[in-house]
Amino acid sequence: MIKQNTVEKDIYLPQLATVKKAAMLNETELYLHLAMDGQPLDYVPGQFVEVSLAGIGEAPVTIASSPTFKDGFELVIRKVGTVTNAVHKLQPGDKLGIRGAFGKGVYPVEEAKGRNIIFICGGIGLVPQRSFINYVLDNRADYGDVIILLGTKCQSQRFFLDELKAWSQRSDIQFIETVDQGEDCWKGNVGVVTTLIPKIKSKLASAVIPVCGPPVMYKFVLMALQEYELPHENIYLNLERKMKCGVGKCGHCQINHSYVCMDGPVFKYSDLGVMPEAI
Amino acid sequence: MSKPRIAIFDFACCEGCQLQIVNLEEELLDLIDAVDVVEWREAMSEQSHEYDIAIIEGSITRPEDEKRIEVIRSRAKILIALGACATIGGVNKLKNNFDLADVKKCVYGKSADMPHLDTALTKALDEVVKVDYKIHGCPIDRKEFTYIVRSLLMGKTPDIPLYPVCVECKAKGNPCLWDEGQVCLGPIIRAGCGARCPSFGFRCFGCRGYVDNPNVNAAKDIIEKYGLTTDVLKSKMLLFGSMQEPTNA
Amino acid sequence: MTIKKISKDAFGKFVDGLIKQQKVMGPCAKGDRFEFEQLDSSSQLRLDYDVTLRPPNRKYFLPPVETLLTCEVGGGYQSVYDDTEFVLLGIHPYDLAALNQMDQIFSRDNYDTHYMKRRLAATIIACDVVTPSKDVFAASMGTATAEAGFDVLLTDIGDSYLMETGSPKGEKLIEKAQGAVDAAAGDLEKRKNIWKENQGRLSKHKLNCSSSYLPKLLEKAYSHPVWEEKAKTCFSCGSCNQVCPTCYCFNVQDDVSWDFTKGTRQRAWDGCLLDGFTKVAGEHEFRKKREDRFRHRLYRKGKYVPEKLGTKTPACVGCGRCVSACLPDIANPVNIYNRLIDDLGLE
Repeated sequence: MIKQNTVEKDIYLPQLATVKKAAMLNETELYLHLAMDGQPLDYVPGQFVEVSLAGIGEAPVTIASSPTFKDGFELVIRKVGTVTNAVHKLQPGDKLGIRGAFGKGVYPVEEAKGRNIIFICGGIGLVPQRSFINYVLDNRADYGDVIILLGTKCQSQRFFLDELKAWSQRSDIQFIETVDQGEDCWKGNVGVVTTLIPKIKSKLASAVIPVCGPPVMYKFVLMALQEYELPHENIYLNLERKMKCGVGKCGHCQINHSYVCMDGPVFKYSDLGVMPEAI
Repeated sequence: MSKPRIAIFDFACCEGCQLQIVNLEEELLDLIDAVDVVEWREAMSEQSHEYDIAIIEGSITRPEDEKRIEVIRSRAKILIALGACATIGGVNKLKNNFDLADVKKCVYGKSADMPHLDTALTKALDEVVKVDYKIHGCPIDRKEFTYIVRSLLMGKTPDIPLYPVCVECKAKGNPCLWDEGQVCLGPIIRAGCGARCPSFGFRCFGCRGYVDNPNVNAAKDIIEKYGLTTDVLKSKMLLFGSMQEPTNA
Repeated sequence: MTIKKISKDAFGKFVDGLIKQQKVMGPCAKGDRFEFEQLDSSSQLRLDYDVTLRPPNRKYFLPPVETLLTCEVGGGYQSVYDDTEFVLLGIHPYDLAALNQMDQIFSRDNYDTHYMKRRLAATIIACDVVTPSKDVFAASMGTATAEAGFDVLLTDIGDSYLMETGSPKGEKLIEKAQGAVDAAAGDLEKRKNIWKENQGRLSKHKLNCSSSYLPKLLEKAYSHPVWEEKAKTCFSCGSCNQVCPTCYCFNVQDDVSWDFTKGTRQRAWDGCLLDGFTKVAGEHEFRKKREDRFRHRLYRKGKYVPEKLGTKTPACVGCGRCVSACLPDIANPVNIYNRLIDDLGLE
């Protein structure tokens, strides 16, 4: 017998949010500071929301702010598709729909307490990681050494520049950055993000290692980490898929048996053994 | 916000797709409310050189047509190919299978050598100019046309199916026409028509063009299973698929 | 539980009575095939049907296209529901198994109000198979007969039907059946024989293992050559998905009114075999290869969904629709699973 649910909440019904601030971070990335009109968004680092524009559609976007950020929440949205193109036209005061936050596979904010954390970020992969990074920085005493490795394609695509500068000036964290192609005015490291790994190899052994970047990056980061023979349960990968419904029904985000919108988007590397489609 | 200016032009075609627009009935008024139609030979006498969106019916079959479409392209921000002649060359492309002099003679007889009857190989619009959007079909589907126009006016990319006609045909609960002995092109032709022909018992003729990645091997395979020859299949594919890679495969 | 017997004439009158009160959907002839349609009269009803073109559970509870929401551009969203009461009359045991499975999927974890409102508004009258279809293999999947999940179960025992109730809703419904009498022991014996016979009759293809072994079989079959071999002639047309009673993937699309003030959000059937199914904005497509998509469907049916639901019943109920619908004749799950058993053995 099927039972009627007493809670009649429509899982597909977006709630309204208002744009508090909208700013381009670089040519393609839009920063949005949002506040829910009703109940504030309840979320943890690694979760995502479905951003909804009436008549246009929905797109999954991972939350860029930490839950310690109490004034609404932040998203960074790349202009790549129908919905995100339209989102880029939003102005402060405009309304949009939000569903979520979604995802049970999230960053290990509790498990990582007392341990070293090494964030490996590629390009826009900085955005989901930032939620966890800022959470850690806001609870700095709870965690061991914190290292942030960031690789960006080129200098002009770097974003959150004020934050990157602040990170580089902090003495209680180590922030190392590189660009794939260095322009003349770039004084820093040149090369893909994996070239930064040997620099911090002494810290790798027992660290929690969250990784996020474009699909192609994971294979290379995992290959680079392989030689240090790290326990796979220490590595966390944020796996982007087509999370259309966000609630484990529509089937588009499935990796083998797993629905990324439900079981992810953050997965322990050790759980991916049975998911050959993951990497 | 000023309304987008739309111009509708035709090249080699039967004007049937434009007729579908005229036949929108009530929705035509909605369309005309939402946009500013500045040129449309089939429906009005005004002309204009200033437009945001050019909607083009027909294929390019004469050298002078190439020049004309290039001028239109240079004036339009968005260029939309309307119907099979524009998107894939349509039935007009059948002539590319023959010697052009023979074609002319066959069609025009004694007048074949008149200069205004000059002809060239048929081209789809995107063989000559950049096409931003394609509205498939012979004729176009009115519902799809209005959906695409509304989407573009909202600044959104319309979802045009990547998948074949079978998807819509099965969703409609149609029995398979192959089981009734018809050589239906549904499995390799782009959906979006709502499986219109098969829903009325006619095989898919392929007017919306091939899906991006048609499995022609599979088509040959089933042809054998149904006791037909690949020539039969090819002859069906030629109507809308002349001089296209999957047809020749 | 009540088991009544009713003559076919009286049953027809009972159905005509139901039609006056609410919508009744039942199997009707469509050319030489069958399809569930809304009945105007019991005379249209063809309970001797073999299989319907579309699976009735999907057609009525997760329809090909449905509106989920309406919205105002720049404003709020409103849910759109359809909870009109209706009777689904004549669903076969294999489709019933699919319905019960889909009920779990849409009520568990995240409760889908759109599906469930329709589902709770429905009364399910299942019907044992009278005429097996040409490709049915329900017996291999344990769905040739139904033990639960119906409000009423009908069995054709010749000149009359037996009606067994499976829920209070069913009890209430058959109270209205004039001329129904308590079934006698002999009638029950007849029904038992039909059930036994149907195990043999609904077996046009035979799986060479217990259906509960499929997850284990597939555990070792991921890199087997069969996926590529079969997918060579796969159109990726999604016909196998579209006709399947247990496929439930959907796409969501928005449209807008001509004055650009009101929007609608609809969901429509989608299929994991289709090109572009896993394509994300920015064009990256995760399951790009034909053979990977082909494999995914067989893994969903045999492993992923049953493991997700924690059931021994696979997400293939043996209706045989995909077998009949697949033009290159590669979709038959039994053929594929048997091939894997041949090559990899049973252990």
